[in-house]
Amino acid sequence: MPTDTKRVRGPDVSQSPVLLGYKPAAVLASRGPREDGRQRDQVDVRPVFVRCGLVSQAKGSAYIEAGNTKLISCVYGPRETDRKDETDMKSGRLTTDVRFAPFSCPERVPWIQGSQDKDLSLMLHESLQPAVCLQRYPRSQIDVSVMVLENSGSALAHAVTCASLALADAGIEMYDLVLGCSLQQVGSSYVVDPSYLEENGWRCNSSESRGGLTVAFLPSLNQISGLQSDGEMSEETLTAGVRTCIEGCYKLYPVIQKVLTKAVRRAAPPST
Amino acid sequence: MSPMKLCVPGESLCSEGDCNPGAGVYLRHGYIYSSLAGFVLKTTEGEKLPVISVVRETEAQLLPDVGAIVTCKVTSTNPRFAKVHILYVGSTPLKDRFRGTIRKEDVRATEKDKVEIYKSFRTGDIVLAKVISLGDIQSNYLLTTAENELGVVVAHSEAGAQMIPISWCEMQCPLTHAKEFRKVARVQPEYLEA
Repeated sequence: MPTDTKRVRGPDVSQSPVLLGYKPAAVLASRGPREDGRQRDQVDVRPVFVRCGLVSQAKGSAYIEAGNTKLISCVYGPRETDRKDETDMKSGRLTTDVRFAPFSCPERVPWIQGSQDKDLSLMLHESLQPAVCLQRYPRSQIDVSVMVLENSGSALAHAVTCASLALADAGIEMYDLVLGCSLQQVGSSYVVDPSYLEENGWRCNSSESRGGLTVAFLPSLNQISGLQSDGEMSEETLTAGVRTCIEGCYKLYPVIQKVLTKAVRRAAPPST
Repeated sequence: MSPMKLCVPGESLCSEGDCNPGAGVYLRHGYIYSSLAGFVLKTTEGEKLPVISVVRETEAQLLPDVGAIVTCKVTSTNPRFAKVHILYVGSTPLKDRFRGTIRKEDVRATEKDKVEIYKSFRTGDIVLAKVISLGDIQSNYLLTTAENELGVVVAHSEAGAQMIPISWCEMQCPLTHAKEFRKVARVQPEYLEA
């Protein structure tokens, strides 16, 4: 395993003192209201807090907070590409980078990008690429980086939303905003925008089939740009799940629009 | 003045028949959509359809395009070409560094075979040039100075003083009166923006 010798590494196994006194629910109830009081089988997404333009060094940036999931995204560029190949000449290149802060998960994660981060980066790239007008940026590269500050579930879905917001804040031309929503299916019922426990706590118990689904959606074009599913899901529940996720995205849309117009207005007061 | 309308990427602005698409918008299925987050601007010129565009207060990032006049700084020279960093496109400063190349045969329009890079550019000169190609995999932006208005605008002599152009191919140091060769630009007001 690669190690970073330039950083002071914490012990391999360490837990936040808050979490030491914390016992995960042995069996997550698969009936009744969810732990945080939201409704099961309904498009009940967590309320989000979103801001644009926090990182002054970046061309554009965004911060999103949904429940305890906190992410920050930065966009740099368009800048000259370091690597050259034929496709770059006609259209730009989009690079994505998702990282988990060491303190983001209940268990400490290393600074070095793991396979999970790389998977998420790839998925983020897939979701964002169709939305960006890359042919307007020949010979250049746009870098998107997302840092997960606290992972309380649905990190990928919120990373997609956050990154597209940062791109729009950077003034990168896009066909549409990209919104993300995820869902966790438990047997015949589902939870939208699952928390960390709802996402990961199921491995130990239950014989019911379970699966996770994340959808990246372009609301104005009415297109799905990214779909990621794991676990076990039947065809009907999957299609129903996708529809539910789209509904969840539409719930997010007005909030994102409002934040973006607010950011534009703050950058340029309408009096000028 | 009424407050200008704000829009976000993907917002439908109007139908194709109402306006012509300008900057920051795109056309899809006969409708014009915004591709930027910014203010909606409609400009009418004569009898034609108004042009609809989306503008941001902070200037959208420009990229050097074919035919654009750029201001660049020479970073290195060799007998075949001079390497430059592009600093400005027109009058807009670039946020990031873009590299370009001025080949020997693109330095001037006449007597191309007698051009010597050392007699045209030195490291550190500020040069006005025009983009002729975005280049291919191996090369960067290709630039040319083969016009009277293009070439060296600011150069420093060996003594360190800023030199004064005395002809299209020579500059003189005000301290030592030594003459040095340069491909001097006859600076035109429309090019003098940076």
